[in-house]
Amino acid sequence: MKWVENNFFDHLDKFGNSLGYDNFGVAVCLSMVPWESPQDRDVFIMTLTGEDVKGGEPSTFNPGSAVM
Amino acid sequence: MAGNENSGGMRPTAPQNNPANVSATGGNGQSGQPKPGYTGFAYGQNGALDAQAGAAKMQQAPTPTAAPAPASMASILGGLMPLDAESQDSLPISDGVDTGRGRGSSALPPSVNGDTRITENIDLMKKYLPDLLDAARLPGAPDSYKRLVNYVKARLI
Repeated sequence: MKWVENNFFDHLDKFGNSLGYDNFGVAVCLSMVPWESPQDRDVFIMTLTGEDVKGGEPSTFNPGSAVM
Repeated sequence: MAGNENSGGMRPTAPQNNPANVSATGGNGQSGQPKPGYTGFAYGQNGALDAQAGAAKMQQAPTPTAAPAPASMASILGGLMPLDAESQDSLPISDGVDTGRGRGSSALPPSVNGDTRITENIDLMKKYLPDLLDAARLPGAPDSYKRLVNYVKARLI
């Protein structure tokens, strides 16, 4: 298995980093929404925050990074 | 034949052409009877007609009446229940409010009194942390996601 876009963990990455870690609970709930596409989700985040979406992009994925 | 300057016609400087000449009372300030100023009748009849017109009773414009005085504050509040009145459980209805002789906001349950978002966040973190860790180890997991998982882990330790 490898990291894929448009699933719960990808959504949590975008919502958690865009809304802030303190809003983890909200990010989890929004990550459970069956978004039509990553683009739809990103438009929602940009509308909500007024800023660009934060989080990893496929081009910036780093397989070598480790979790503590 | 040269015309007389005062022979009438439209004069721009005439008072009726001055827009500033507006009655402050909007026409309601007129008092008394109008005097038509009849002319052209037989000698002696003009004055008689004027007198007759002046004597005729004309309906006056209705006088605006003042609005009724507002009720006093005491009469407005008279029907209200005071905050210290006792409710059915022998506690004042102000119980839970930081005023009056009730117990104050300390009597409220924690879910009402405090921000439960942090508690809910911790509960969700505990519930999802094992799966979040598994996903963080997937090849291609972005660094931003790993930082998020590290934050969650740090909060729970």
